[in-house]
Amino acid sequence: MIRSLFEPRKIGEMAPATKLLLYFILFAWSLFVIFPIYWLLITSFKTPAAVNEGPFFLPWVDFKPSLHAWKDLFVYDLSDTMRAYFNSIVIALTATALSVFVGSLAAYSLSRIEFAPNLITILYFVVLLIGASVAIGVYKTDLWLTLAVVVALFFLLARAVGRLYTARLKNGDILFWIISQRILAPIVVVVPIYMMFQSVKLLDTHIALIITYAVVNLPIVVWLMFDFFNSIPRDLEESAQLDGATMIMTFREIVLPLSRTGLSATTLLVMIFSWNEYLFALFISTSKAQTLPILVAAMNAGERGILWWTMSVAIIIMIIPVVVMAVFLQKYISKGLLVGAVKG
Amino acid sequence: MVIETNNTRAVAKGISVHEFNKFYGAFHALKNMSLEVSPGEFLVLLGPSGCGKSTALRMIAGLESITSGTLMIGDQDVTDVLPKYRDIAMVFQSYALYPHKTVAENIGFPLKVAKTPKAEMEIAVKAAAEQVELGSLLDRLPGQLSGGQRQRVALARAIIRRPSVFLMDEPLSNLDAKLRGNMRAELKHMQASLGITTIYVTHDQIEAMTLAHRVAIMKDGELQQLGTPKEVYANPANLFVAGFMGSPPMNFVEGSITNGLFTAEGISLPAQQLPEMQNVTLGFRPEDCTVVEKGQGQIDAQVFTLEMTGDQSLVTFRSGDKSMVVKMPKDFEISPDSYAAIQFDSAQACFFDTSSGQRLYAQNV
Repeated sequence: MIRSLFEPRKIGEMAPATKLLLYFILFAWSLFVIFPIYWLLITSFKTPAAVNEGPFFLPWVDFKPSLHAWKDLFVYDLSDTMRAYFNSIVIALTATALSVFVGSLAAYSLSRIEFAPNLITILYFVVLLIGASVAIGVYKTDLWLTLAVVVALFFLLARAVGRLYTARLKNGDILFWIISQRILAPIVVVVPIYMMFQSVKLLDTHIALIITYAVVNLPIVVWLMFDFFNSIPRDLEESAQLDGATMIMTFREIVLPLSRTGLSATTLLVMIFSWNEYLFALFISTSKAQTLPILVAAMNAGERGILWWTMSVAIIIMIIPVVVMAVFLQKYISKGLLVGAVKG
Repeated sequence: MVIETNNTRAVAKGISVHEFNKFYGAFHALKNMSLEVSPGEFLVLLGPSGCGKSTALRMIAGLESITSGTLMIGDQDVTDVLPKYRDIAMVFQSYALYPHKTVAENIGFPLKVAKTPKAEMEIAVKAAAEQVELGSLLDRLPGQLSGGQRQRVALARAIIRRPSVFLMDEPLSNLDAKLRGNMRAELKHMQASLGITTIYVTHDQIEAMTLAHRVAIMKDGELQQLGTPKEVYANPANLFVAGFMGSPPMNFVEGSITNGLFTAEGISLPAQQLPEMQNVTLGFRPEDCTVVEKGQGQIDAQVFTLEMTGDQSLVTFRSGDKSMVVKMPKDFEISPDSYAAIQFDSAQACFFDTSSGQRLYAQNV
């Protein structure tokens, strides 16, 4: 009797006890995951009094739901809310489109073309770049004149220097360099980035945030898509080539349709990153270009203490698009992210 | 009417490979390979894996650059020409079917690329599909087809454009044995009826023997011998070719030649007017000899096993660490461990220089 609890009834089935335990764990985990969202939802319908006197768990039983917080955001502060929402959408979509477009083309070429840039030429380039920056920034030399001198120097000496040292980088090195950009913590570069945008007068604009997000996400796109493109057999493209297709046509007809899952997974990932990003937005946007995360954080900064109720509303409207997308694209995400592991 | 033009024989072109070399970094993958393929010929590149045969094929296709040498297709120098301008169709070992396109779209892809009008394309796709007996599967995706059917789709896609050259890279190696036999026959028939110059890469010597007009045997990036299957089989140019062709392979006995006699442990036979030499290898084919009673043949040895393969019996002899195989009729009986002798016509034996591997030919002294 006891034994039968621990033995599967059929091959390929779980033992009843295992099943029970498994479902219990899954149930507990779901509660753990879903409860915060539930709490958010009911908090958004609480009055300040209900929040402060709580904790109350059940609407209509513990407390009387009220639309007070929703009215705050959608009636009194409608323009602020909608502006942040609109900003977030524009910035996240554009930055995602930009980084996926550029990143997947970079990944494709890294997976298909063998690059062999000369190491010494790159170092030489960097040295010239630093030299030029110092000359312009510190010694106030003329911008165009300095640029002309640097470009001329580069081309004149690149060949000569390149011939002396022939150590070359390989695709793996380039890929690692790209990914290493992501290893750098954003906090390290946020001040220089702030100053850069300040000097070109782009602070608090959509463009500044779009550029920043696109660049920050580029390594992820390249990394994910590189693995994905690598998993597409080269035979397919070679065959298309022999059949007369141009490189663009091969990409459009063969590679693109086959990388749909990878592209959608990457797109979603990058979009969520951009949608949730806080640190750069905090520095770069002040009012006009403010995004939703900033709006949410602002609820914590007033003289009236933390506005839990309106904060909940803001968070809810912020996570709705992500949840909807994730539900629809879930199939692609798991497939796309697993592609490196499972080849089929 | 369109069908009619589609069924006309393609204009077959010859291929001329002149001193092909391929380097991957410092690795010399292909060494000074030259060969001429005449229009309509079926040439097989045969060799063990890693011998450079696929590299050679990919160089002809234009998928690999040619480090040095020239390639002519017809009377045009295409050494540096892009693959798509070479008028070549290739069948890959993996078939390289586009998984997201239906059978019809796969077959029609070369025409789509060439911007053929839709109506004309449809007729051509149907005709090509009929030719490989795929007519009823046009709407399926490659994932829904069996291995043999995928192979046919790949073939149909290759023939639809009537290229002047066909390249095939081990197209049958992913099929099971029985299907491989059928497809081999169909391939041969198709190539003969279309008359398209074909270069076919394989490591399977049976495929090479049955399909080829001529076989080019390769090893370590070097062409070992080029000739008709019969020539290559009967007159191997070196030890490698002799050992590679034939199943079971040729028997080898190492010895030396003195006074016109080949001698090895327990063997002594006339050596076809060959000069005196140390380190000579004698080779004879399993089917060119018979088992006779001890003392009656050239080589005495102990029977190791007897294997009945259905249509014949293979008798394996062991003498020292050497083993020799003799092909006998299927009803032949002999008990293992008994002593017997191998008898063969010494005129059919081949002699090789053991150190260089080269064949030793009789000199008219």
